[in-house]
Amino acid sequence: MSRRTFLVRAGEVGAGAGALMLAGMSRNRRTYNPWDPSYYAPPKHANVAVAKSANYDGDLESLVREGLTTIGADVKGKRVLLKPNMVEYDAGTVINTDPRLVAATVLAVRRLGALDVTVGDGPGHRRDTDFVLAASGLESALAATDAKFVDLNTAPVRLVGLHTAYTNLGVLWLPEPVVSADVIISMPKLKTHHWAGVTLSLKNLFGCVPGRVYGWPKNVLHWAGLNEAIIDVAAAVRPHYAIVDGIVGMEGNGPIQGTAKASGVLVFGDDPVATDTVAARIMGFNPERIGYLAEAARFLGEGHWDRIDHRGEDPERVASDFAVLPQFQSLRLT
Amino acid sequence: MERVRVALAASRAADGGFGPVPGAPSEPEASAMAALALDDDGARAWLRRAQAADGGFLLGLDDAATAMAALALGNGSAVDRALDYLLAHRAEVLASDPHPNAVWGWAPHTYGWVDPTARAVLALRRLRPSATSAIEDGLVVLSDRECAGGGWNYGNASVLDQALVPYVHPSAMAMIALHGRTEAIAARGRAWLDAHWSDELGGLSLACTLVARRLLGDPVDKVIDALDARFEASGLLGDTVTLAWATIGLGDGIDDVRVTP
Repeated sequence: MSRRTFLVRAGEVGAGAGALMLAGMSRNRRTYNPWDPSYYAPPKHANVAVAKSANYDGDLESLVREGLTTIGADVKGKRVLLKPNMVEYDAGTVINTDPRLVAATVLAVRRLGALDVTVGDGPGHRRDTDFVLAASGLESALAATDAKFVDLNTAPVRLVGLHTAYTNLGVLWLPEPVVSADVIISMPKLKTHHWAGVTLSLKNLFGCVPGRVYGWPKNVLHWAGLNEAIIDVAAAVRPHYAIVDGIVGMEGNGPIQGTAKASGVLVFGDDPVATDTVAARIMGFNPERIGYLAEAARFLGEGHWDRIDHRGEDPERVASDFAVLPQFQSLRLT
Repeated sequence: MERVRVALAASRAADGGFGPVPGAPSEPEASAMAALALDDDGARAWLRRAQAADGGFLLGLDDAATAMAALALGNGSAVDRALDYLLAHRAEVLASDPHPNAVWGWAPHTYGWVDPTARAVLALRRLRPSATSAIEDGLVVLSDRECAGGGWNYGNASVLDQALVPYVHPSAMAMIALHGRTEAIAARGRAWLDAHWSDELGGLSLACTLVARRLLGDPVDKVIDALDARFEASGLLGDTVTLAWATIGLGDGIDDVRVTP
């Protein structure tokens, strides 16, 4: 995909943000390859595994442990940060990564030998993290595992230089728990997104960026160009693994106001780009048409379907079209 | 009350300021809120040292602490410079916005939001009531952002033609800014908060509700009970800003955010 094509497609999916976002893109994009090739080695072999689970009531811990083992996840002796998507809470909706899956992952990662497991997020919409934590059920789910939660919106921060220049930010303030973790596992919900098309393991990393520096809903990043910021943040955080909660996802006007979509799958990966590529196809989308994902596949991970080592369930057989807003119809596979 | 104060004091850094959580370095918003809550001269001294040459209080790009820092400092040239900064640094406005009166965002050159706008309106109403035009701009936009039936979401009342529901935290912030006003919007917001504060039992929502209801003269006993329960359950996550709002709502700091006629 050429840079120009990326810009056009990103502009299409970001239509809601209008001319301001497009202006931001043209202002920010100064180079053809806005990443440091010495920092980002070409993607290595990518493993993605798809597992079925009809609901959250089964033995999720075993399922997660098997999924992580299948992709070769190595957490033994490591300090692990689980980053679920806890952007918001509204009763009766499926906005967040299900707390039962998060708790099961805590147990699974411990069983695989992790030295320490922390769950952290910086909710993007609500400033009242305490409310999101309690109302979503994550507080009680984590209490049962004795795992600690850290609010990434208020954790101490460190200034890190960017090795990408998709936005003109140049640097990012990132929470210490993110910077100091040995292993980061991005745990998004399988959702559509009304500005970006889809929100998966890359977009989920917006929750690693502290609201007290970037505002709510991480407004500085949106202003800098949403698609560009997704890449810059992901390239700075660089999660090691991803677990996408597609047991029940969200379609339509995601990531907050959409409707539940039962897909009955979990997607595990050791490469966030490859993981999102598979997850997008399970949603019925062409990953190459998702601007930020196609661009990330140029340097941050594997986006070529045939180069991904697919394990577990056949993604094509578990795929089910997610409803999308009209401006995203062009993302569809067919 | 005392245990909330103790928890808040745990965020004091060695340099006299306050961090966002215990053990973190001092930052403007946490220091401003703690200075208000604890009437803390050490935090005020830190704020004076941290003020930028242009009068703002920034953490990275975020300057939304400026209004609260002005309230914490109370008077003097530092306050004047902070208020001048507020008046000079408004949010960007979308071309499609029917109300082009710029308000306040979390950072310069971004969109306006209810919370930072409420802070700025409060600071200007209390410390520079002569800034009537800017205050009116804030009130107009708070009115525009009001959700159907009263109350506020964090930003617009709708996105992509879909109405958003109001939330307790931004609604409480808006009512902190609007207390003492007699417009219908203030009455609707007060009624909405009265009916819905118990729908969202989170630390920040409850702490800001407590402050708003004390400023409005509404009963607070049940709010305090709910806040106490959350403190017991989560320690309010050690969040300095939440603990400070709670302390303000429980103590004499309320007088430093009150606008008197």
